Amino acid sequence: MKEVIVLDDVSRIYRMGDEIVYALNHVSLCIYDGSLTSIMGPSGSGKSTIMSIIGCLDVPTYGHVLIDVEDTSGMSEKDLSYIRNRKIGFVFQHFSLLPKMSALENVEIPLLYAGVRPKERRERAEEMLVRVGLSDRMKHRPNELSGGQKQRVAIARALVNNPRLILADEPTGALDSTTGHEVMELFHGLNEEGKTIVFVTHDRSLASECQRIISIRDGGIEDDGL
Amino acid sequence: MMVSENIRMALRSMASSKLRTFLSLLGIVIGVASVVAIMNLGQSAAESMSASFDVGGLNMITVRPRGRGRETMIFTEDFSYTLQNEIDGVQEVLPLVSSTANVRQRDEIAESVVVQGVTSGYFASNSLEAENGRLFSVEDNISRRQVAVIGTALAEDLFPAGNAVGSYVSVMRNQSKSFLVVGVLASHDTSQGSSFDDALFMPYNTYTERFRHTDRVGSYSIKVKDGYDAVSVAEDIEDYLDRVAGNDYYRLFSPATVKAMADEVTGTFTVFLAAIAAISLAVGGIGIMNIMLVSVSERTGEIGIRKALGAAPSVIRKQFLSESVVVSASGGLIGLILGIIISVAGALISGWIPVISSGAVTVAVGFPILIGIFFGWYPAAKAASLQPMEALQRE
Repeated sequence: MKEVIVLDDVSRIYRMGDEIVYALNHVSLCIYDGSLTSIMGPSGSGKSTIMSIIGCLDVPTYGHVLIDVEDTSGMSEKDLSYIRNRKIGFVFQHFSLLPKMSALENVEIPLLYAGVRPKERRERAEEMLVRVGLSDRMKHRPNELSGGQKQRVAIARALVNNPRLILADEPTGALDSTTGHEVMELFHGLNEEGKTIVFVTHDRSLASECQRIISIRDGGIEDDGL
Repeated sequence: MMVSENIRMALRSMASSKLRTFLSLLGIVIGVASVVAIMNLGQSAAESMSASFDVGGLNMITVRPRGRGRETMIFTEDFSYTLQNEIDGVQEVLPLVSSTANVRQRDEIAESVVVQGVTSGYFASNSLEAENGRLFSVEDNISRRQVAVIGTALAEDLFPAGNAVGSYVSVMRNQSKSFLVVGVLASHDTSQGSSFDDALFMPYNTYTERFRHTDRVGSYSIKVKDGYDAVSVAEDIEDYLDRVAGNDYYRLFSPATVKAMADEVTGTFTVFLAAIAAISLAVGGIGIMNIMLVSVSERTGEIGIRKALGAAPSVIRKQFLSESVVVSASGGLIGLILGIIISVAGALISGWIPVISSGAVTVAVGFPILIGIFFGWYPAAKAASLQPMEALQRE
């Protein structure tokens, strides 16, 4: 199986005043193409740090991160932004939509940064919103949408540049259980189509829907369900 | 990413907090408005002053002997030819004598009339034309004829019935002498103090023989050749006269020189005032920097999201820099309009010609853009350098 993400002996150290905190301590793992994985752990376990490092939002203090076999060590912020734009689609707990823009414009943003022309941008964003079932909500702003609809917009935005990996941070955390199930069904559908998906969560029932659960505790891997 | 995209985003961000944007623009608006108003009004004043100098006056230079000493003895009629030959750029030099006298026609008396003895070329050289009758011929001068040409206002005073040409007037200076009026001048205003309209003219030789009894001329009326700078010709004449007569024994009056000095003073004054106004522009820039810093800190979460979605630091920097330039330039535009309104109103009130100075427009458009870039740079760089994860956590 092909690896999409490889973390090779990764440590992330924060300095808080005189104190040195190991948020991640010698972590190694692989995420395979087409897999559905959850990274689980209580708050403060280091799972947010692992998410930012997998998503290239942060860089490890030691160790290497490979995305599509490409080593990201020593990359500039510009190169990392390119990887975030083309290879990773983020879905956040609180949706992280830009409030002054319509659903359609929000979905267009990654294409804007990829240098796609306006007309093609619009077409691809529309196509994505249709795919997540929001064909009648394209011109609505986030404050005119329900929580489930907002998360669908966020998923459409994560998918629009056809990334190698969908990285979802507590994607059902701000939704009621019914809406949460609907969103999870959408993720399962995407996984069946071949998308590689990683959830970062503390929710055991969400994690249990995945083929593989990686448990994190105190900055290290406690259990890898592989 | 395209510039138009950035401008669109900037306008949207401005529109979302209209009052705050307007208040932070105010500094730029006031700064630009005052610079534009001052530059426009400065130019208005200068152009109105130029317009007040007679068209025919700017190429005329007058030299008047001063005092009665031996040094002034060289200022004879012949000295006209000397000046004309010695100084480059002199078209012609006409000797002139003048004094005041009472002029009478039957029961009408005009008191303290300026009486001038002039050669026949005088009228053409001052762009004067006859409204009725004729001007002097060379023979009038050579033969010392007792003829007179009078200004239109004087003609109205002395001849209410309007039959001046062909009548006689008495010029009373020491003794009374009778002159035949051969012509009346067309009205001709100048701002040089002496109005031709109230004067009486007689041939130069007639004047010296009847009233003066000296070789010395009253003054020289010097006409500058086309294509020569009257200011530098005036300087050459001064240099020459300083050598042959001495600085104390003549006075030179050159409207072009006065105008050049006035222009310089107006120019210096305008630059000085505009520089003071420019300080308010710089203060306006601090307002822009403040609003941009607030904007960056308020939108840290947005910056985090944009970075997560793939915005490179340069893209974020351009976005905020565009916003700062758009904000500042809109202030400049409002200020330009305001400044034009103020300066046009001011010019009309002062009776000047309203002018929109191209320099003012350049300043109004260019300065705010530079200020937007200069004062927006730091906030934009701050936004660009935010760590994506930290920014997202502040959402």
